[in-house]
Amino acid sequence: MKIKSYRFQQFFSKFSVYFILTFFALVMIFPFLYMVATSLKIPSDTFRYPPRMLPQDPASITMTGYEKPLPLYFVEINGQKEKYALAKSNIKIGTFAPPNDVTKTIDRFIDEVSPTGGADQKTVSINGKEEKLFDVIVDGQTVSMIQISQTTVGEFIDPQDPSKKVYQNVRLSDPVESVNAHAENYTKVLELNNMGRALTNTTLVTIFVVLGQLITSVIGGYAFARLKFPGRDTLFVFYLGTIMIPFVMLIVPLYQLMVLIGWTDRLAALIIPWIFTAYGTFLMRQHFITFPKEIEEAALIDGASRLQILTKILIPASVPALATQSTFTFLYAWNSFFWPLVIINVGNEKNHVLTLALNVLRGRASDTPNLILAGAAIAVIPPLVVFILGQRFFVESVASSGVKG
Amino acid sequence: MVINPRTEFLLKISMVWRGIFSLLTFGVVIALWSGILTSELALWLKILLTVILITASIFSAIGAGQIYRREHSGRMISLVIDYLAFVACSIIALNTGEVFIGIDALGETFASGLPYLGIVAMGYFLGVIDEYYTQKKQLWGESSLKVVSRWVMLGGFVLFIFQVGAIDGILYFLNKLTQPLGILSVAGIALFGFFMWAIGRSESAVAMHSKTNHEQILSGWLFLSPNLLGFLIFFAGPLVLSLYFSFTDSDAFSTPNWVGFANYAKILNIQLVSLAYPEQLAKEVVNISVYDEVGRFTFGNSGILFAAADKYFWIALRNTLSFVFLAVPLSVFPALVLSNILNSKLPGMKFYRALYFMPSIAAIVGISLVWQWLYNATIGYINYFITLGIEFWNNLFNLAIIDPKIQWVSDEKTALLAVVLIAAWQTMGFNTVLFLAGLQNIPGELYEAATVDGAGNWDKFWNITLPMLAPTTFFVVSTTTIQAMQVFEQVFILMNPPEGPNNSTITLVLYLYRNGFQNFKQGYASAIAWVLFIVIFGLTLVQFQQQRKSSIYES
Repeated sequence: MKIKSYRFQQFFSKFSVYFILTFFALVMIFPFLYMVATSLKIPSDTFRYPPRMLPQDPASITMTGYEKPLPLYFVEINGQKEKYALAKSNIKIGTFAPPNDVTKTIDRFIDEVSPTGGADQKTVSINGKEEKLFDVIVDGQTVSMIQISQTTVGEFIDPQDPSKKVYQNVRLSDPVESVNAHAENYTKVLELNNMGRALTNTTLVTIFVVLGQLITSVIGGYAFARLKFPGRDTLFVFYLGTIMIPFVMLIVPLYQLMVLIGWTDRLAALIIPWIFTAYGTFLMRQHFITFPKEIEEAALIDGASRLQILTKILIPASVPALATQSTFTFLYAWNSFFWPLVIINVGNEKNHVLTLALNVLRGRASDTPNLILAGAAIAVIPPLVVFILGQRFFVESVASSGVKG
Repeated sequence: MVINPRTEFLLKISMVWRGIFSLLTFGVVIALWSGILTSELALWLKILLTVILITASIFSAIGAGQIYRREHSGRMISLVIDYLAFVACSIIALNTGEVFIGIDALGETFASGLPYLGIVAMGYFLGVIDEYYTQKKQLWGESSLKVVSRWVMLGGFVLFIFQVGAIDGILYFLNKLTQPLGILSVAGIALFGFFMWAIGRSESAVAMHSKTNHEQILSGWLFLSPNLLGFLIFFAGPLVLSLYFSFTDSDAFSTPNWVGFANYAKILNIQLVSLAYPEQLAKEVVNISVYDEVGRFTFGNSGILFAAADKYFWIALRNTLSFVFLAVPLSVFPALVLSNILNSKLPGMKFYRALYFMPSIAAIVGISLVWQWLYNATIGYINYFITLGIEFWNNLFNLAIIDPKIQWVSDEKTALLAVVLIAAWQTMGFNTVLFLAGLQNIPGELYEAATVDGAGNWDKFWNITLPMLAPTTFFVVSTTTIQAMQVFEQVFILMNPPEGPNNSTITLVLYLYRNGFQNFKQGYASAIAWVLFIVIFGLTLVQFQQQRKSSIYES
């Protein structure tokens, strides 16, 4: 009995663990799912309430005698739902009743009735209220009736047999819809607003920054880790101290520096200042310092130069560290927004990077969230792919940086 | 020691060169201040150039003497000066040839070259296949596939270079170099390069009595030099400049005027006055031509009015601090809980860890756009979920809770909260991973011992996990705080206008951006940056004290 309850407890605790984890996982992942799903929708679908995830299109059918394809709706016939085409909308139907018994109602199209007495319409007084009279044809006979209410309906026809007609309210009818992903939103958004160029620019900037940072931080890290020279350790402490300094401290003087050398509005301003990094140098130094010294000394005795040792021995053995560093830099360069916003003019669209283009798109396409979110997906998905590829190195490295810090 | 005549000659001209260089740099300094060389230079730039040139001049003179005495320090000085000048000339040459700004043109052609990069990638994969097969079995003799791979890669790259217009680019570069400055810099490259070679040769090293540790010092500085120069130019230098600008009225384009502490005085100019009655108007108690009301605290029949010369700075500070005090706990506490769960050895934990990490790597701009639609008051998912939740509870317990229909970003009460939620969502996973690493570093024996002593899970968490995790907690809280203090991008994208309804989301960095880059009051913006830095520093210091107090169990 006791064992059984222990087992139950185990099961329950496991269940609640996975429940909490899954709940948070859903919270984390939901905005991404929403982004991708919405980016594949048509605009009207994005403004729907209640919202729904899957992109769906209203279905339609081409019928002889009609110029445009007719939208399909569900129509209830004898308790069964059937797909009918909407042939005509905005048909007004009135509900009429004889003045002496308002419960005996009858529905007629508005254009089938005419005011009793023509232009000089007759009225009747019911409970002290004046009501207008209409001539309604009932079973071939004209009867004067008052109008109780009026609705607007659509004329739905059976696609197989156009003579079968049903009238019902269009807004309350469920449209026939099919799941349909509009991938062309992506090509549309790339053409719109120069997003294609922005994507190229971001790619270019990211490649240069990643390569540049790798080179400077690998050789710098190597110097800090392995070469003894006066002032090295003081300088290293100085490097470490600057990691904590927030970037906004630098933004004004860096801007003026760019003005001075004429790089405002230039992609070079997004690249050159960012290829020198104290943090990357620190990471590479931490990595190289773990490398056994003996191999290097042996190579030195064999007459290898420092550069040869670095390129032939250390770099090939450091692929995981380099991958981590590249992933970090990639994310940083790809996602950066504040500096491009400051240095690249809003009007100079040919030098916009993705984040800037998104900022412009947000104002320009506010009535088409599908396009905005397609643009967001173009900016968000490449880092996710890089993350998934480099995940193993990356997450571990973040973890270790925290422990050391 | 026998020194061959060639080396002797090279050393002699190196010495002469050092002397000439010393005089030359000194001459440039004189020209600079007498106004012959260039007329319009910012004062700070003039001073900087003078310091650099004078230092170079003095060291060059010393170097000449040391080479004469065959002291090795002369060779070191020579190499350093010539190397720096060589780098400077190369940069000037590249800049004159418009290589740096030519990257823009690459943006135009780069996309068309991508297919050829595809060929390069194909070549690479051929190489990978080859490696795979040579590991499996020696199938195709001496890896002929490797040769093919190399050629394909090379061919693809050449085609790529050709396609992106490198030929035109090089011609353009050479054409631009024929300007006076270009010719001068190329001459400089040749000159400095030659003397670097002359004194760097191993024969010269021997003649100058070089030791192995000298070579190590030289290669150490050489290896560090790209990084260090970039660091000085783009980080340390600007940091000092920022401090200088904060004491000026700089507007980014004209010569800045020194204004002393005026910027700081304006920021910090505040008044606290007591009110006779809570609704008393601000103009009755403070000089409203200087001060604006920021807020008032009322208690009973009296109150205190808080007025400041720069009202928006204090609103921004209030908003930023509210943001920090909301966003940091919201992204740290769930992370702590989740990391403790993830630390269990159940299957699938790595998968969850990766999922939680995803938000922190996505572009904030993109993410904020997504959340903007999630927050939409009429069609957004967040209000929809709230509505569903309320309906569920109402049906379950027969209640009549009214759906609040929160306006999120357009309501001043919830606008900042909306930003907080995004930030918390985005940093929570990152913090979880950090905590998880900290947890995995706690020795298991501690828990085993506690189990033997009959401690429950809760006791263990409280008495082992938390104290042992204190260093990690400090790291997590302080980095999250530093990040949160600089909140800008989420606000800028999510809010329209970024200040939010009734300035409810104006933050310090946003205010800095407004001042520095929309009104171009860059001196004032620099002062804001330094105040921000001091606030961040203070918060970190407080956290550090807390951590030291609480980490009594450590080591």
